[in-house]
Amino acid sequence: MSVYVCLRVAAEAYAVPVGDVREVLEAVPVTAVPRALPEILGVRNLRGQILPVASLALILGRQVTAPSALLLVAESGGLQAGFAIDEVTGVGELSGPTGPAESPMLTGAVLAGGELVGFIDMARVFGSLARSP
Amino acid sequence: MTSGIDAELAGMFRDEATERLDQMDTTLLAVESGAAGAEVADGLFRHVHTVKGAASLLGFDDIRIVAHAVEDVLAEVRTAAVFPPQLAAPLIRATAVLRAQVAGVDEPFHNLLADLAASRSALPAGREAQQPPAGPPPSREAPRGEAPVNEAPDGEAPDHEAAAPRTGRRTLRVPAEKIDRLLDAVGEVMQYQGQLIHTLGGQHQLPPGVADVMDGGERMLTELKDTAIGMRTLPLSVISRRLPVAVRDMARQAGKDVGFAVHGADTELDRVILETLHDPLAHLLSNAVIHGIEPAAERAQAGKPARGRLEVRAVPHGSLVEIVVADDGRGVSADVLEQARRGSGLTGVLTRAGYSTAAEVTDLAGRGVGLDAVSSYVRSLGGSLDVRSEPGRGMEVVLLLPLALAILEVLLFERGAAVYGVPLSAVEEVVVITRTMTLDGRPSVDLRGQPLPVADAAALIGAAAPPLPGEPPALVISADGRRAVATCDAVLGQRETVVKPLGPLFGGTGGYLGASILGDGRIALLIEPAVLTRGPRHTLMPSALPSEEPAAAPRILVVEDSFTVRELQRSILEAGGYPVTTARDGRDALSMLHRDPGIALVVTDLDMPELSGLELTRAIRADPARSSLPVVIVTSNGSEDDRRRGIEAGADAYMAKHAFDQHTLLATVERLVGR
Repeated sequence: MSVYVCLRVAAEAYAVPVGDVREVLEAVPVTAVPRALPEILGVRNLRGQILPVASLALILGRQVTAPSALLLVAESGGLQAGFAIDEVTGVGELSGPTGPAESPMLTGAVLAGGELVGFIDMARVFGSLARSP
Repeated sequence: MTSGIDAELAGMFRDEATERLDQMDTTLLAVESGAAGAEVADGLFRHVHTVKGAASLLGFDDIRIVAHAVEDVLAEVRTAAVFPPQLAAPLIRATAVLRAQVAGVDEPFHNLLADLAASRSALPAGREAQQPPAGPPPSREAPRGEAPVNEAPDGEAPDHEAAAPRTGRRTLRVPAEKIDRLLDAVGEVMQYQGQLIHTLGGQHQLPPGVADVMDGGERMLTELKDTAIGMRTLPLSVISRRLPVAVRDMARQAGKDVGFAVHGADTELDRVILETLHDPLAHLLSNAVIHGIEPAAERAQAGKPARGRLEVRAVPHGSLVEIVVADDGRGVSADVLEQARRGSGLTGVLTRAGYSTAAEVTDLAGRGVGLDAVSSYVRSLGGSLDVRSEPGRGMEVVLLLPLALAILEVLLFERGAAVYGVPLSAVEEVVVITRTMTLDGRPSVDLRGQPLPVADAAALIGAAAPPLPGEPPALVISADGRRAVATCDAVLGQRETVVKPLGPLFGGTGGYLGASILGDGRIALLIEPAVLTRGPRHTLMPSALPSEEPAAAPRILVVEDSFTVRELQRSILEAGGYPVTTARDGRDALSMLHRDPGIALVVTDLDMPELSGLELTRAIRADPARSSLPVVIVTSNGSEDDRRRGIEAGADAYMAKHAFDQHTLLATVERLVGR
């Protein structure tokens, strides 16, 4: 059992290890960075530092339906970025993945509270963002 | 070397030893050219003795052994009171080995020790009669090459005479990170100052008393900033001291006679720039030696002095530094000059990506190979590169670099609700566009009789923006030897601003110097000037639409510590249609592989600092996720034995650098990634 931040994006449930999460902020308009990867929405000012902001829905291969309300600030391998999400549903213990998941960004999935929760691998997410456009 | 104190000590040792070795090289070069004699032996002895002492103290045995052998030669020179010039060469080789050892590279040195011992036979007879193991008076034991037997490290190591005097020297060694942090903090305060003025409603609306206090604070802040920047700058000599030896070696290898000089070595530059400037500079010098300066016979025919002239000049220009690499060689061909006249200018032709003919690519320092890399390096720092040349008269490459990286003078402008900044040094003037004309199918404006291409800044940057109104304001930009006009919604004025890096997630995007946070908290992207002079981009819709398949094309990772070879391989592979990522050593490569799952093949050098090609290959094979990733080893060791070791480590192909040409490389890559 480990502790995860459970969240909702593009109408699906996901979990991120709590150790990878720095904070959750309200989404504000970002400054677009032309020519960056399509999943990268832009940058924003986080207490005087530049924070890249990416769309978690696009990274997970989902459609973006409505503007996201929240920003999950995560860190992995020395990199930090904000990820647009719809909702944080809770922080709690989960048993870890029991079955496989489709997206290469997930380590697996588990059935919890009557729905399928995908486990997000932040190292892979950052890895996918480090490629050239 | 695990504890923090030891690491710090090792770092200080590295800095000091490198400095002393550099000074030894300068002196040894003078000896070699006959300009100095036995009188310099004392100074040289002191330097190497100090290095030896510190090395034994820290337990660096290999360094101690080599330094000791150098001491022995110098001690004998001292006694003999003559310094034959031919003794300099093995000693210069020894400083090179020591420098590598100090940097943490395992250098084989047993041949060197034998050569050093043998070199002493050049000293006057009488000395010769003594067998080396007998040892001359000032040196206490034999230069054996194996660990000296008699040495008592604790008695000998911390030498008081040689250690830099601690009193009277008004210098302090401070770790660079502390100074970076100070400069960062100054930048933050400047940012708050900007916000404060903005919040109070602008500079001109303050009550008189408040305005005075603010002014005073601002003056002190400027002084604090200048002081902090001054602490982060170092003289060019930090890297240029090593260039004479490098040029001498290159000239010998190429069989050329080259006189080399550095002017303005005391010119100061940002430490961060200096740390990365050595490779591009060495590359330009090697281009000049190999391709610029003619063989003696050709020079005689052209009526030039037999000895070629090569120089590096550094001149400060306000907040910029100009670094010129000039030679009096054959210059560009009339052909290239003609191309330049018709097209994008000489700089444009020579810095075009991969510019080079096939014949030149097989040659390690083809005239154009790597000049595009030097140019993009300079651009990434917010500087610019310019080339001047006349056929038969030589060539000058001019690098214009910012003095300080962290704080930049920019001109801010607005386009489509976004604010951008461009280095003020690249802006010639601000104009209003009243009418445009078409020249060669491109819109142009007439700037005092000179036609210049004009384009919407949004199109140049690749941003989405509504159409501009009639008669928009525009910036006249000059970069990379080209001038162009970029139109925008409004020019907001100049600002001294703190440059914040966009970070590694934008590493592949290019074209940005970073970002800056404005007084009102908004972010301004800082644009490389060349982006605005290159012409409009033919792409791009707003980025929210996932228009393309996000799966990236298979990429090749080139791992190589030599800038020249790395860029050569990159240009060959890119010309073959492969996207390329590069890494400087095995460790760098592993973290790159970790970050980028799209890498489909690794091309690696064998001998590299940090983690060698063999170790890298083994690490890849041991990782279940990448165990089948193809690895090609390219190395200067072409022996069967090395090949066997490479294949045993799990490499899929093994190529010797001397047998290496672009067709073999491309064919091998094609075979392995199966295109």
